[in-house]
Amino acid sequence: MGFLAPLMLIGILAISVPIAIHLIGRRRARIVKFAALDFLLATKRKTARRLRLRERLVLLVRALVCVAIAVALAKPFTSCERKGPHVTRGPQAAVLVIDDSFASGYIVDGKPWLRRAAEEARRVLIQLGPEAEVAIVRASEAADQPSELTRDHVRLRDQLLALAPNARPADTTRALARAAQLLAASSHVHKTVFLFSLMQRTGLRTDEPPWGKDGPQLVALDLRPSKMTNLAVTALRVDPDPGAGSRGMAFDAEVGNFSDTATKVELQLSIGDRVVARGTLDLGPGEKKGKRFLATLPAGTRITDASVSITGDNLAIDNRRWVSASLRDQVRVLLVDGDPRTVRHDDELFYLEAALRPGDRDDSGASVRTITAEELAGIDPKAKGRGAAPQIDIADFDVVVLANVAAMPAERVAVLADWVRAGGGIMITPGDHVDSAAYDKTMLPLMPQSLRDPIDTTWGASPEDRDSRALHLVKWEADHPIFTPFSKDAPELADAKFFKIALLGPTTATADRKVLARYTNGAAALVEASIGAGRTVLYTSSIDRDWNDLPIHPGFLPLVQQAVRHLARKHTQGGQAEHLVGSSVVLATGDLRRLEVRGPRGLGAVFEGDRITGRSSVRYAKTDLPGVYRVVGTDQTGATRDRDELAFVVNLDPRGCDLAAAPPSALPPSGTASGAPPTDHQRRIELWHALAALVLLLLLAEGFLVQR
Amino acid sequence: MLRDRIDPAQLARLGTLPIKARVIVEGALSGLHRASVHGSSVEFSEHKEYTPGDELRHVDWKAYAKGDRYYVKQYEQESQLTVYLVLDASASMAFAGGGLAKLEYAGLSLAALAYLVIQQQDKAGLLACGDREIETMVPPRARSRHLHDLLSVLDQVMTRGAVGDESPAAALHRIAELTRRRRALIVLASDLFDTEDATLQALATLRAQHHDVSVLHVLDPHERTFPYDGLTEFHALESTNRMLVNPATIRRDYLERMEQFLTRTRGMLTAAGVDYHLASTDRPLEATLLDVLVARSRLQPGRRAS
Repeated sequence: MGFLAPLMLIGILAISVPIAIHLIGRRRARIVKFAALDFLLATKRKTARRLRLRERLVLLVRALVCVAIAVALAKPFTSCERKGPHVTRGPQAAVLVIDDSFASGYIVDGKPWLRRAAEEARRVLIQLGPEAEVAIVRASEAADQPSELTRDHVRLRDQLLALAPNARPADTTRALARAAQLLAASSHVHKTVFLFSLMQRTGLRTDEPPWGKDGPQLVALDLRPSKMTNLAVTALRVDPDPGAGSRGMAFDAEVGNFSDTATKVELQLSIGDRVVARGTLDLGPGEKKGKRFLATLPAGTRITDASVSITGDNLAIDNRRWVSASLRDQVRVLLVDGDPRTVRHDDELFYLEAALRPGDRDDSGASVRTITAEELAGIDPKAKGRGAAPQIDIADFDVVVLANVAAMPAERVAVLADWVRAGGGIMITPGDHVDSAAYDKTMLPLMPQSLRDPIDTTWGASPEDRDSRALHLVKWEADHPIFTPFSKDAPELADAKFFKIALLGPTTATADRKVLARYTNGAAALVEASIGAGRTVLYTSSIDRDWNDLPIHPGFLPLVQQAVRHLARKHTQGGQAEHLVGSSVVLATGDLRRLEVRGPRGLGAVFEGDRITGRSSVRYAKTDLPGVYRVVGTDQTGATRDRDELAFVVNLDPRGCDLAAAPPSALPPSGTASGAPPTDHQRRIELWHALAALVLLLLLAEGFLVQR
Repeated sequence: MLRDRIDPAQLARLGTLPIKARVIVEGALSGLHRASVHGSSVEFSEHKEYTPGDELRHVDWKAYAKGDRYYVKQYEQESQLTVYLVLDASASMAFAGGGLAKLEYAGLSLAALAYLVIQQQDKAGLLACGDREIETMVPPRARSRHLHDLLSVLDQVMTRGAVGDESPAAALHRIAELTRRRRALIVLASDLFDTEDATLQALATLRAQHHDVSVLHVLDPHERTFPYDGLTEFHALESTNRMLVNPATIRRDYLERMEQFLTRTRGMLTAAGVDYHLASTDRPLEATLLDVLVARSRLQPGRRAS
């Protein structure tokens, strides 16, 4: 131990002051020669002892105060070997990159690793000194980043204290790139990036180095525990299991062992809050294995959340994964074939039938009945008497698709219009049998917009120019339930070529008309409108390959399935798709006028007023935690209830579960924008703060003793 | 001198009280105090029928001649009261809370009593205890000159001051030996701060020997109220004990202990038939003496306190 101001130790002589006070105090005590002292001694011997002890304690405390003040003024210090990074104090620019991904919640010595990292970062911040311009960059994916360096170290310390593991995986490379950007804007010569990271392999990309040779100096702190093991549920899907009955479900969980030792994992399946099955899994080092649970949904439940969880490792957040399990509603579809053919693949409905019932499986979610346009007369009560067609009860169907159906008599259209008005859904696709003039006469009650003559974009083109003159789908409403499965530029839709399309004329008397997609020439491709409580969708090209090649593109199947379910008001629920933390979820609003989303931490968002009026869907983006997000909706009648069909689950990105360390070569090279490294490996620890605190405590003790 | 300290008028007023009727129990005070003890003396009292064992010289032969029966003459005996004044001059009696020291108060009280006793031609003796090295004793005499001697010795003791730690018990035992055959009045002035109960037991012994015993329990008001405040170091008077204390913290306990001491002392002495008088040094001397004399006068001639 040494002293910066050893002369101040002379102040220890002040210890004589309390001793003198003590002695003078004794002398100043009034002396009384008292005859009955035996009474005092006999009765209060303990008091006397306590008084003597208190006097000596007061003397001791006062003496210690004098000594402590003198020693504190002498500024004592001790020194030890540096364990932390080499930090140069003074004017400079520095960025502290801290990994706050969900892996940073890994428990080390009873507390999250992030706390240790934040503590180290705080030490570095102190050592940098108040003249350093510093920023804190979080290394989790999509984290908000600072816009500039600052000297406000108090705020920086508050930021460090407030750091908590979030639910995103690490993206260290992006954080380093951001740090380099911040430092590049600084005029300081000495620029350093301090990296406090678990060095996860998955967070460091070697193909995109964050800086070149003249980048900042990189100081990577070795804070990673010597051994990190992790078990995680990396995937979970649910499928109907017809073998287990109508409510049977098969839950396929995948568990990963991200360690170098074999282990046995216990899994449990919960439906809602109830554990319904348990199982074990033997996992080798670095192995991933699947485990299937068969279970039935509780009676009366059509849709619920389920989860598979494991126990027993230091990173709990990835030990559970959720899935939304629902019994699929069968959509009853009546397909009206306007151009039936004996050659199967020439039939107007060849592709549509295959898309609605892939593999012709019972669990395809749709029951399809196909009739000809003439047989559709069976829905007309007046035709029933004449026996022109077998009777068809249109009320048995949710959706009717008129595929290349010639204009129908007004009476039959009226029957269909009434059915639509009562809640049915109708989809109309044109073809060569569709005459726009005839449609204008009778079919308008079912149409969102009148038809005009079709145009052939390849008319007169040579076969080799044919493809280049084809139209493509663009500008579809990505938030609309029909397009939920597609991204904004999904090639499975955009690549389809449209050679002939029907143009649209004036709008009809329908409500809420909306163009859902357009072609590259701006013409409408898909138009939706409301008729009473039902909906109509007009597709302006053929449903088979006569006018386009969409049926042979991957987008055809989800598009028609979504369209049918949308018309039947049986959307593919948001919860059935897997949402990762941070992704946005599209929620179909239907006829709701208010919608609440309640996440794992309670109320997440409320959509009402302008945020929901006139929209067929809303987008919820605050999915910052894994878990179940429930939806409460209020319909036009004011009735409020849970909308289980809209509930969805959010899971972790399983990339972050792999805690394997990246090799040192994965880090970018330390740049040249740094000062001379410090040579002093001794670290000085000043002790006067502790002594000052001791003085305060002693003064408190002295006051306490004197008051007694 | 001591005689100057005694107010003669006060003593004269005390002299008018019926102390004579009280002290005559022992018949010690000539002319004033008649003893109930019968014996051969100069003045005839009555006849008593002869019984074997009576001295023949007391047989009244004239009465025998008249009535042919043997009568024995009985005489009233004039006796002098012997009063032993015992002064506790141990160091604890030096305490003076603000007024008279306890020793001074006790000494004046006993001087006044000696004055009264000798003025009535009774015998008064003095014993001072406290200092084991010096034995102070004035034998009882009734002569008026003796008063001068007694008061001179008493004055010397008071001038010397309170020293030593000897309790009055030894002096009381000595009186018991001296007065084995003759009853006496013993008046003790002391603070009774005796670590053991030797003094109280000695008083009880004297009382058991049919002596009259009076105790002036002399205490300073400060000893009874403990009015001290602020950090105080108390020094014992009869030992080297010291105690630094904030009196406020122990006042309640001290007063309780003092009250217990007084209650116990009073109880033990009263049970033994001792006249007990608590004499606070702030109380007028005559009031204290009056208490003593009034208490003695209540005793009927020929009756001893049980």
